Formats: sequence, structure tokens, C-alpha cells
Amino acid sequence: MEALYLIKIGEILLKLGNRKEFEDRLRAQLGRRLAAVGIERRVEVFPGRYFVIVPEESARKAEFVLARTPGVNGYARAIKTEKTVDAVMAAALEVARSRVAQGKRSFKAESRRSDKSFPLGSFELSAEIGTRVLEAFPGTRVDLHEPEFTINAEIRERAYVYADPEPGPRGLPVGSGGKGLLLLSGGIDSPVAGYMMARRGLDLDALYFHAYPYTSQEARDKVESLAKVLASYTGGTSLWVAPFTEVQMKIKKDAREDLTTLMMRTAMMRVADVLAKRLRANCIVTGESLGQVASQTAENMRLTQSSTDLPVLRPLVGMDKEDTIRIAKAIGSYEISILPYEDCCVLFSPKHPMLKARLEREKAAYDELGLEGLLQDCLQRTERVDIGMSVQEQ
Amino acid sequence: MTYLDWAATSPPDAGALATAAAAAAAAFGNPSSAHAAGREARSVLEEARSRLAAAIAGGGAGATRAAGKVAFTSGGTEADSIALLSVLRSALNARRGGAMKELRILTTSVEHAAVFEEARLLESLGIAVDLVDPGPDGRVDPARVAAALRKDTALVAVMAVNNETGAIQKLADIARGVEDAARALGRRPPRLHADAVQALGKIRFDPAALGISSAAFSAHKIRGPRGSGALWYDGTLEPLVVGGGQEGGVRPGTESLQGALAFASAAEAAVAALDRNRERARSLEARLLGGLAAIRGAAALPLGRVAGDERYSPFILSVAFPGLSGEVMVRSLSDAGVAVSTGSACSSNAKRSGRRVLEAMGIESELALSAIRVSTGETSEEKDIDRFLEAADDTYSRLRT
Repeated sequence: MEALYLIKIGEILLKLGNRKEFEDRLRAQLGRRLAAVGIERRVEVFPGRYFVIVPEESARKAEFVLARTPGVNGYARAIKTEKTVDAVMAAALEVARSRVAQGKRSFKAESRRSDKSFPLGSFELSAEIGTRVLEAFPGTRVDLHEPEFTINAEIRERAYVYADPEPGPRGLPVGSGGKGLLLLSGGIDSPVAGYMMARRGLDLDALYFHAYPYTSQEARDKVESLAKVLASYTGGTSLWVAPFTEVQMKIKKDAREDLTTLMMRTAMMRVADVLAKRLRANCIVTGESLGQVASQTAENMRLTQSSTDLPVLRPLVGMDKEDTIRIAKAIGSYEISILPYEDCCVLFSPKHPMLKARLEREKAAYDELGLEGLLQDCLQRTERVDIGMSVQEQ
Repeated sequence: MTYLDWAATSPPDAGALATAAAAAAAAFGNPSSAHAAGREARSVLEEARSRLAAAIAGGGAGATRAAGKVAFTSGGTEADSIALLSVLRSALNARRGGAMKELRILTTSVEHAAVFEEARLLESLGIAVDLVDPGPDGRVDPARVAAALRKDTALVAVMAVNNETGAIQKLADIARGVEDAARALGRRPPRLHADAVQALGKIRFDPAALGISSAAFSAHKIRGPRGSGALWYDGTLEPLVVGGGQEGGVRPGTESLQGALAFASAAEAAVAALDRNRERARSLEARLLGGLAAIRGAAALPLGRVAGDERYSPFILSVAFPGLSGEVMVRSLSDAGVAVSTGSACSSNAKRSGRRVLEAMGIESELALSAIRVSTGETSEEKDIDRFLEAADDTYSRLRT
């Protein structure tokens, strides 16, 4: 048996000139992602609707993928029927039965008819579904405002009947915004930042700075787990692991204490700049949020971003931490992020960090450290770990 | 690998384990069964019990041989919790007007998590907990324990040997002080429980002679198997967990003959070799302290601990490398083939509580965070200490910040 999913798309529809390009990209994304988790699938595109057809036994995996594919506004398991009133009613009752079995009682019916040869108009069709459901399931009632479930019937090239769609990530298909390089730490913020930019159509690679033995193998494993969460939204990613121990030690040794974190972040941005350009990325993404920690003041961001001429996108810059945590929980990164392994050793954090860097003065201090050789060496030893799309148990 | 983490666990004596497994397989009956197979298993179990009791007694003046009972448990943690949870049962038994009777536990801030966390749990359930801090040397002043005793203190729990610093608590003085304080309060002395997991086979320790009422032991710290421990106790203990009434009702559940036999053998061997092993540990301790003195910045904790100090178990030494966190040192030494740990292996995931013991001694947090624990055992050798010193020196000079 096959499972049919009706995919609703949103923002793509607003694109005028290059709508086709967005549509093709979403179609390709859906196909590639389902294939990547080993699902035999068909993706069919009709005006305003996509359909994904997978074997019944792959349904749960397919839902995992659909729920994480940017560009998908919502998806619903649908029944495809003949375009006859009887067939549509039979399907509507089947949909209603599954919801009634979940204890739901109040409902409404919504219909769309693009095939005008169908004998009932959309208003009549909805009314007929309502009548039949009320007859078949005593205890159900119609509620047009806050129904517990909705029965949707669409009469198009074929007839489809489905209940409430599950939400997708919305946004734009990955790749439509080009490629970005995400600075991924083990914390709560950076995976959320990656998720937000993936929804804006950015394909992402991730860069992690590993300072072994100051940071542990467990910390690195944790970042790989976070990259897996990210990969479920980007459809796979590459995690770049940059060995940063020597750079960190040099900074700790030679930089003024209150500048250590800033110098480190400026150096990280320099590595990100070189790597991003190698990867033909068009931007760098960070999880910075204004004022969250000392290094994330506007003045300090000005210094750290002076290491690159690429735009540094900071989707969390105006977000409240609670909101970030809520998203982190929703995408499944939170529980990983709060594992206790430090991503940046406490011994490297100054007690009284500089809050407002002055660009020229601090840039001069940075240049004086003479890190370029160490950074080139770091880049040379940076390893790539391919993180495929995988279905994680929730 | 250079193994210097004996306080976490010890390499088991494979021969003794195999002998115990074979004997347990031969006497496979349930010791509680009435038939011949059951009776045979019962006699093997009781023999293991009396051998263990004798070994415990043999580690001291021998008073334990005649006094108290030994119950086999799944390990030190369970033995501790039987003693602590009995207080909860007493409080519930003596309910007044539906509310739990107010009872208190008196313990120290340097206990192993098996006691400390259990006490915190009891606190959350309504048992008041009084904590006594140690002095800078890691030892608890018996007078302070006595002074903290209250009318409704149902249990005093003080460990025998600290698992992070090796500090040996003055249990005999504590027992006497508590008894006097109880008398002054016009009440009977409370039970005094000792976690003696790092004491058995390591220092002279005879619970009955010390005047304590229960003690927890673990087999795997003295080359026995995991999953085997014992609770020695005097008088009656009311357990919170009940079942088939095995082990005098204190630890229900069908007994592990294999674990009991292996523990008895391990304890006998450890106690028989106690003097020799302790001498050896003393000499390794001296070598270690001497070597550390040559590493600039490194220091034993508490500061000023010297070789041969009778206040400490020579098997355990806490060492600080200021400017390098203990976790980083442990990781790096592991890469160099040397196994040590930060504080207690049982608390190494919680950063703060991992340093609870050292901070309770008043050691400043930066120094405490840089501490590691080096612990030796029966087969440790001078070359292990030398290898550690060499690797620690190298790591410290490379990675200190």
C-alpha cells in the first residue's frame, strides 16, 4: 500500500519572476531528502500542490522529512479517490473515523473545486460531507469556528480528501538563498540560528572550533549530534572541525586578559572567512544575540566581523533567550545543547572582559598577536565530517 | 596503561572470580529453599559471610568477629542507602497526627555521593539534615560532630576514609563524643554509620571496636567483582525495602553466591596483605610527593600534606596543578596512557559538586578545579608513579595557562 501526502506550499507562491526556480528546487529537495533516508518515492507537482507518494511502511520516516523541509508549509496524509460524490463521501467518512477514534468530536468540512464538471459546488460538497459525518458518527457536531478537526475535500485533476495538515517549517527551499557557513558551538544558540537560516533557503556547512584537550571528545561528539539536527533541516551538511588549541594558547599567553575572548572570536571569524570563500559560501551565520554575553555587544561585533567582508548573518540578534530556547526545544537541539560538556574552557574566559571594543585600537592589538601562521595551520588541519540526512527518533 | 585510579575501581583477581563463579554454579540452589540444593547453597553463603566478617574483623582488633551481622548487598551505595533509608522508615513509623515525625540526620559535607545525595534526597522528603564541615586538613572535628547532635538526630553518618583526599576520620572519637553528647541531652545515642568503602583492606578498621553501629563495604575496590558489597551492622536496622526477608530482612532479594564468595576471598586477601600493601603505598606516596615537589606549581591537597602523615590513607592523594583544569589534565594523561581521575568518578559529570569535597575544606575554587586524584593499589609500582610524574610534568608545562 502507498501513503499519499499532499504538500502545501506558501511563500514560494508569492515569488513572481522566478517562481519556477523555487518550485523546481523544492521538488528536487523533497526527492533528494526522501531518497537520502532510503525511501522509494514519487514527487508529483500540480499547480499549487505537491504530492509525495511513498510506501506505507516508510510513512513515518517520510513525515519526519516533510516536517523538516523548508518550503513546505504543511502536509497531510490524503486519500485519493475517483471524482464521484460517492467516492468522495466514502473517503470523508474514513478521514472522520480516524479523528473520532482520537476522541475528537467537533468538525467542519472545507471543499475546493477546480474541476467545474464535478456535480456539487464547493459549498454543497461541504454541506454534504457534514450531513454524512453527523449521520455516521453520533456525538459529532459541526463547529465552523474552532473545530477539533477539519475534513478537506479538493476536486482537482483527481479528488483528494484529508484532515488537518501538520505544519511544515514554511520558508523557502534550501539552496534558494545560496550557501552559508554556520559557526556551530555546543551551545543553545548556534543550532537555532542555523535552523532559522535554513528556513530562509540557505544551504549550510558548519564550522566548529575544537580545542583538545581543553575541550573534550564528548564536546566534539555533542557538536556532531547538533549538526545532525541541523542536517535534518538542511538535508545534510558538512561539519568542519578546526583544531584551535594552539591559537587559543597563543592568545591566552600573549593577549591582554580582558581581550582574550574577543581576540579568539576575531581569529575564529578569520578562519570562517577563508573557509567560507573556499566553499563558495555567500555569508557567515552566527548565533550571536545582542548583549547576551560580553563579546556580543555591537562594538565587539564590529571588531569580530572586521575579519571578513562577507555579511555576518545573526538571526538571533534581537531574540530573547527564552524564545531561542523554545525553538531549540521544538527542533530537538535543546536536550543535546544542555549536555554538560564545555565547548570553550572556562580557563580561557577573562574575569572582566572588554565590553566596548574600539575598532582601530583592538584591531591593532589583534594584529600584534601575529596569529596568521597559526590560523593557516589550523585551516590546513581542518577536517570535514559529512553529516547525512537521518531520521532521528523523537 | 599506567593505572592509578584504584579508588574508582581495581583490577579484579580473575582467578578468585572464576573460583567463586564455579562454586556458585555448583551450589546453584536458592539459599532460601528448603530442599538439599537450597541448604547446600545456604551453607556456602553462610561460609562466605563468616569469612567476610572475619576478614573485616581481621583488619582491626578483631572485635567485629563476635559482634554485629553482615548482610551482602549489591555494593557500597546500597549498603549506605539501607542505613540512611532506615531513618525514613522510623520517621514514617512514628507518624504523629498523620504527619511524619521530625527526625534529623547528622552527616558531613565531605561524604561520598552515596551518602551525601541520599541525605539530600531525604531532606527533600522532610528529614532535616545537619552538615558538619571538615577542617582545612579534610578531617572532621569530633567535638563539632558532638556539638551538632540534637535531640531528634536519628542517625550520624561519617565516612571512614575520604575517597578524594584520603583523609581518615576519627571515628572512635566521634562515636565517643556522640555518645557523651546524647547522654547530656538525656537521650539514647543515635546510630552511627560509616561508609568504609575506602577503608577495608587499606587501613586498620574494625567497626565494632570503633563503637559505630553500621559500615558499608564494596568488593570492587579491593580486587573483587562489581555488584557485590556488604553492610555490617549492630543491633537492629529497619529496612525501607522489604521482600523475601533475605539477609536478615535488611537486604531482601535472592543472594548472589558468586558475589558473596568473591567478596569474601577478596577481603581475606586484602586484609592478609594489609600491612605489606600499606607499607608499599607509603613508599609510593613518598615517591609521588617527592616528585611533585619538583614540578613547579604542582601541589598536594590539602596544601602541606607530607609523606607518612597518619591522618591520610597513603593510597589516595589529591594533587592540584593550578592553571590547568583537572578535567583537561585527566584527558591529556589518558592520551599519554595514564589513568587518574578528577575527584570522584561518581560525580565527574557535575562540575560544581565534583569539587564539593575540596571546597568544603576551604580550598579556593580555582585550586580545587585544577585537582586530580591519584590512587594506588596492590600492584602499583614505582615505575607507575614515575610514569605519572613524567606525563604530568610534560602535560602541565605544555598546557597550563
